[in-house]
Amino acid sequence: MKLSLRTRLLGAVVAAVVLIFLCSLIAARTVLTHDLYDLARTEVTSEASAFSGYVASRKEQVELLVAQEAASGPLRASLARRDKAALENELSASANNASLSFLTVVDGSGKVVARAHTTTGGTLASDALVQSALSGEALGTVWHVSPQFLSSEGLSLQVGGQGGGLAIAAATPISDAQGRTIGALYGGVLLNHAYDLVDEATRAIGGAAALLQGDAIVSSSIDRPDGTRFVDAQVPAADDVLRTGRTFVGSDTEGGTDYYASITPITDVQGRAIGAAWYGLPLSQITSIIGHTTQALVLWLVLAVIVVLALAIPFVQGLSNTLARNSTRIRETAKELGIVIVGSEVSGDQVAAAKSAVQRSGELLAKAAAGDAVSERIGELQKLNHELESDVIVVETLTHEMSARMDDAVKRVAELNEVAAGLNELVTGESA
Amino acid sequence: MAELILVFATNADAMIATKALKDAGVAAKMIPKPAGVDSTANLCLTIDGSSENDAASVLNVAGIAFGGVAR
Repeated sequence: MKLSLRTRLLGAVVAAVVLIFLCSLIAARTVLTHDLYDLARTEVTSEASAFSGYVASRKEQVELLVAQEAASGPLRASLARRDKAALENELSASANNASLSFLTVVDGSGKVVARAHTTTGGTLASDALVQSALSGEALGTVWHVSPQFLSSEGLSLQVGGQGGGLAIAAATPISDAQGRTIGALYGGVLLNHAYDLVDEATRAIGGAAALLQGDAIVSSSIDRPDGTRFVDAQVPAADDVLRTGRTFVGSDTEGGTDYYASITPITDVQGRAIGAAWYGLPLSQITSIIGHTTQALVLWLVLAVIVVLALAIPFVQGLSNTLARNSTRIRETAKELGIVIVGSEVSGDQVAAAKSAVQRSGELLAKAAAGDAVSERIGELQKLNHELESDVIVVETLTHEMSARMDDAVKRVAELNEVAAGLNELVTGESA
Repeated sequence: MAELILVFATNADAMIATKALKDAGVAAKMIPKPAGVDSTANLCLTIDGSSENDAASVLNVAGIAFGGVAR
């Protein structure tokens, strides 16, 4: 299929515009994506630190609450009297006021004297926090609590049958009036399926937050597509975090949503990585910006093509018309010159025919002069004369015709020069 | 066979037809328009009657319209 010059010029202009914009679009998308991911990394790292700060703040709060309770006179007096009923009442009231999941008093040997929410006995002598408190040092930490402890505290149902639980716990020594350690107060907040901390953090810093026990989510503000809370699921990326102790930052899909996430290991007072703090920003925040920007660029591309076409069409139209006019003049001139050339050749043939007739006439006259069948020669001469007369008329007609056409040809050659000069100026911009 | 007269609209067509027929090997002779022939051109061509089809074919290929044939 042959395309007109107009189509080719417009096509070239549109192709150039589209090519430039496609390159710009790809470059813009690439740079934007890179920069947005860099920004997301910075923001996720920063917000993850804030979330870890919330966990640390809650730990300090628990430490303070337990320390305040351990210092209360009635509690110390009740422990000194071994008044279990009074202790249970005081512990229950304090735990409810401070929203503690458990609050337990042990004696100097670690044996449980009273609990806030149950009457179960037992011993916490093997618990490192209790041991530390009984030795006079108060400690608070994110702590792995055993299934037996959870059962004794009536918290097994909250955990849901997993192997132990994740808690923010603190233990503080209880001293008598003389300053001797007579026991310890052990309290804390169970984090499994408790959402105050993650919800509070999410409300303050945005995104989504989760607490992991090992590599399993036990508390989160991540929503599933159906709107329910996403918990009790494994986070494969957390395995490396727990093993190496290094924070993970990257893409992670949880609850059917893609996040740019940070997973920071949580270590207890003994330095063991027992869980992780997960914080993520939905990737849709990034992809929507990229998508919106791309849409805007494409819109501008379409607009640019329309504007360029609106500007280019009159220009190309004018150029095409000029070239078409010149082309027509050249074709007409070429046709006329062709006729002149053909006419010259035909005229030459005609003159040659006339010349031949004259020669034959001369030969007949010579024969007649020699007396060779004079009357017959005269007849032939008459016929030849008639033919010669016809040839002369034709030659005369052709001469007139060619004369007029030669005059026209001279004008047309001058026009060709003008056309050539015009085309040269059009192409090079230089006047002849 | 009798000669045929090919009539054209212009002298230029007659010239071009002469050249085309010559190049194609068809014998043709340019003559002044006979008195009894109706034509706007002053020149006509005569060809042998047996060459009519060949001449018509050549002129058709060359894109030359001739106004008629006088016998």
